[in-house]
Amino acid sequence: MPEFVMPDLAPVMPEIVMTILALVTLIADIIFKRKETLAILSIASVVLVFFVLFGTPFKTTFNGMFIADGYSLFFKLIFLLNVVLTVLISMRYLVIERVNFGEYYSLILFATLGMMLMASAGDLIVLYLGLELMALSTYILAGFITYDMKSNEAAMKYFLLGAFASAFLLYGISMIYGLTGTTDLNAISEYIILNGLTANPVVMLSMILFAVAFSFKIAAVPFHMWAPDAYEGAPTSVTAFMSVGPKAAGFAVLGRVFLIAFGSVRMDWSAVLIPIAILTMGVGNIVALSQTNIKRMLAYSSIAHAGYALLGIIAGTGEGLASVMNYLLIYAFMNIGAFAVIIMLRTEGFKGDTITDYEGLAKSHPLAAALMLVFMFSLTGIPPTAGFMGKLYIFMSAVYAGYTWLVVVAVIFSAISAYFYLRIVMYMYMREPKESVSLAATPALGIALAITAAAVIIIGVLPSAVVSFARAAVAGF
Amino acid sequence: MIATAFALGALVVGSIFRLKRPYAEKLMPYESGNPPVGEPRQRFSVKFYIIAMLFVVFDVEAVFLYPWAIVFDKIGLYAFIEMVIFIVILFVGYIYAWKKEAFVWD
Amino acid sequence: MNTILETIIAPGSIDFALAIGIILVKIAVVIAIALLHVAYATYFERKVIAHMQVRLGPREVGPYGLFQPFADGIKLFFKEDIIPAKADKPLFYLSPVIFFIAALTSLAVLPFFDGFVIADLNIGLLFLLAMSSLGAYGIILSGWSSNSKFSFLGGLRAASQVISYEIAMGLSLVGVMIMAGSLNLSDIVRAQHAYPTGVFVIPQFLGFFVFVVAAFAETNRLPFDLPEAESELVAGYFTEYSGFRFALFFLGEYTGMLIMSSLLALCFLGGWTIPRFITDFIPFLSAVPGIVWFLMKVYAFMFFYYWVRATLPRYRYDQLMAIGWKLLIPLALINILITGLVKAWIKGLL
Repeated sequence: MPEFVMPDLAPVMPEIVMTILALVTLIADIIFKRKETLAILSIASVVLVFFVLFGTPFKTTFNGMFIADGYSLFFKLIFLLNVVLTVLISMRYLVIERVNFGEYYSLILFATLGMMLMASAGDLIVLYLGLELMALSTYILAGFITYDMKSNEAAMKYFLLGAFASAFLLYGISMIYGLTGTTDLNAISEYIILNGLTANPVVMLSMILFAVAFSFKIAAVPFHMWAPDAYEGAPTSVTAFMSVGPKAAGFAVLGRVFLIAFGSVRMDWSAVLIPIAILTMGVGNIVALSQTNIKRMLAYSSIAHAGYALLGIIAGTGEGLASVMNYLLIYAFMNIGAFAVIIMLRTEGFKGDTITDYEGLAKSHPLAAALMLVFMFSLTGIPPTAGFMGKLYIFMSAVYAGYTWLVVVAVIFSAISAYFYLRIVMYMYMREPKESVSLAATPALGIALAITAAAVIIIGVLPSAVVSFARAAVAGF
Repeated sequence: MIATAFALGALVVGSIFRLKRPYAEKLMPYESGNPPVGEPRQRFSVKFYIIAMLFVVFDVEAVFLYPWAIVFDKIGLYAFIEMVIFIVILFVGYIYAWKKEAFVWD
Repeated sequence: MNTILETIIAPGSIDFALAIGIILVKIAVVIAIALLHVAYATYFERKVIAHMQVRLGPREVGPYGLFQPFADGIKLFFKEDIIPAKADKPLFYLSPVIFFIAALTSLAVLPFFDGFVIADLNIGLLFLLAMSSLGAYGIILSGWSSNSKFSFLGGLRAASQVISYEIAMGLSLVGVMIMAGSLNLSDIVRAQHAYPTGVFVIPQFLGFFVFVVAAFAETNRLPFDLPEAESELVAGYFTEYSGFRFALFFLGEYTGMLIMSSLLALCFLGGWTIPRFITDFIPFLSAVPGIVWFLMKVYAFMFFYYWVRATLPRYRYDQLMAIGWKLLIPLALINILITGLVKAWIKGLL
């Protein structure tokens, strides 16, 4: 019987702290009657995890199953930021929607824990574990407005299609395990190279199954069908959460699995991902044109953005990966910012989620309109904002990797996207207000908006800090 | 050997039982049961589902505990502490379910 | 299966054939004894309860009514097998069979005395628990397939009751497993004999308590016989059953009681052994064959079953669930923690 050795727990410390705090939040829910306490508790937890994260050594532990490196650190920062911003924008919103339950916060923490595990997964089993923890929590969050049929529908669709995706992933895992006899990403890569399996059909099939499963998670066409319904039906704060966190986590594992485990068959998986990326950008941007519900529009926009980010993965270089990470961070800011404005419009008895609700917002609430303007410009990719810089780096890395034609396609679609983003700006500034819209502004929401707007502009003007951070993060990859 | 013995045992037990079937069926005419009133298979309380879900959670826990308990002597303190952590995490969920009145039957 | 056949056909496998022959004989003996026992368990139950209620009980058939069980059996055997028109026939046919087979198969792993066990499984305890869950299928399916309100409700209740208490029972045995370090029932008994207290009931009193309560609920006996509460549900899940199928449920239930009693005797009371401190004190007791001790323990607990039935009223359903979930499970978990701590302390780990 082999002696049991205590694995090095230091690299897992952020996850351990996160688990404990998520459990504490769960218990706190039954102790405290005021749910705002929980919001503060969860933000405090995230801040604590944030500090633990920076004290964490870059090491692998649990026999290579868990990797703490710059890459995972960067993604974990995105997830933690996502939690803070989501919690800030949802405190008042949950009261308005009359679903102010404490489980919301612990579910968000658990989902984030799952994402953190995914980002650090050095083993397919850990990856799957994290993925399921994240997915199960978000399924519940999507259906959080229990009395609303649309929310229920969102949760149901998300759950069913998510379960399909998990099944695809498991099937891919089982095939690659059957072939190589290991679930360790590095070992898989070594096995494929050593045995010259780069043209093996099982490897190809498994790789395609992985691509399908991850495409589900990042809502890439043609596996995006759940996204518009889920994003529209889910509570707006959860939509903001879902469109950033799980998507970033999906890219984290996509990058790790495809660049490490399937690194030797890069040409094959880029042949799979290129049509997916083109379709994703195309469908996302073109279908978004005809949307009248702003949440649905942002859902399609989110699909389109996944398409842009895929370009960085397809480039397959460290630079490409760094640009994807950079882009995802920027996307977190601008997307949650946009959702924060949407949430601000949601008041008792007023949904505020159709595009026409924004008519003349600049007259009645100039500040809110200005913020929305910033986020919309950023989502379009107009220069002084961060969105431009994000796209620029992605496109540059793709061009350097030799995919100039792909970048041309992406730029064309990006130009199309200007129409529906700027339509909102046009509505806000060029139309007269139909009815008076009141805002549900709270200090927390104000903080979230201030953070996101400031970040969007600062990164837009001075992108080098984030980009060099992302490059440094990828360096140890 | 043990598995064989068990398989045979199960089969023989089954066949010994099955021998009785023909007797049981002998000379059996068909006859209807009670006159049914309404639909017997009705909707039933959601509580049953909750119990079923909780059962899955705790049964999986028990399944984890068995192998641990068997090799308790050999795996040392580390495994013991790990299992304590496992039970504590489960216990948090248990307290949560209790406070959310999952065990209250009304 | 092929390998088994090849081994049997192959020359020189006479030993193997002999071994199988011995196993077959053992099976026959155990089943015959068990069924006879079950038959007389009903007789004893009626007698015990009758005397507790100052009645005489069965006394018409044979001396002291001793042939009453056979009369009952023969009667049920020749009774008409009624199948309701709207019943789900395959399931209706199958469910008593499942219930009965699950109960009888459990007998295979019980060591009645040292070395006498049909299948000396390494996972005997787990096997018993699995079979006890399998029996629940018989109950649920019978409730569903009968197409009767009483059966349906009885089946539902039985299902949630059995699964609730199964957790408590499974957890209560973890303490025993920690102490014995085995799932093999014979090993558990030997471990107890080697233990200073001789029986596990003394160190494992919490587990014992949880197990006893859960055993009553698992076998659907009073005070937890809600699935077949005659005052509200006629007979619960087997309301629609008659003739020999009814007898199968009846036999299955009493076999279940026998198995629970045996499990209790094996896991907590030292099975066929008696504690060493007793034999040291009264030496001639060690000459008594193990089967006597084992049966004494089993019958004592069977008597306890009857005693409780004659004494306690039935619980309400919410009380039943509250006991299972709010009392037994925490107790069992605490028991596991204490056992683990003490064992770790004894081994010098802490």
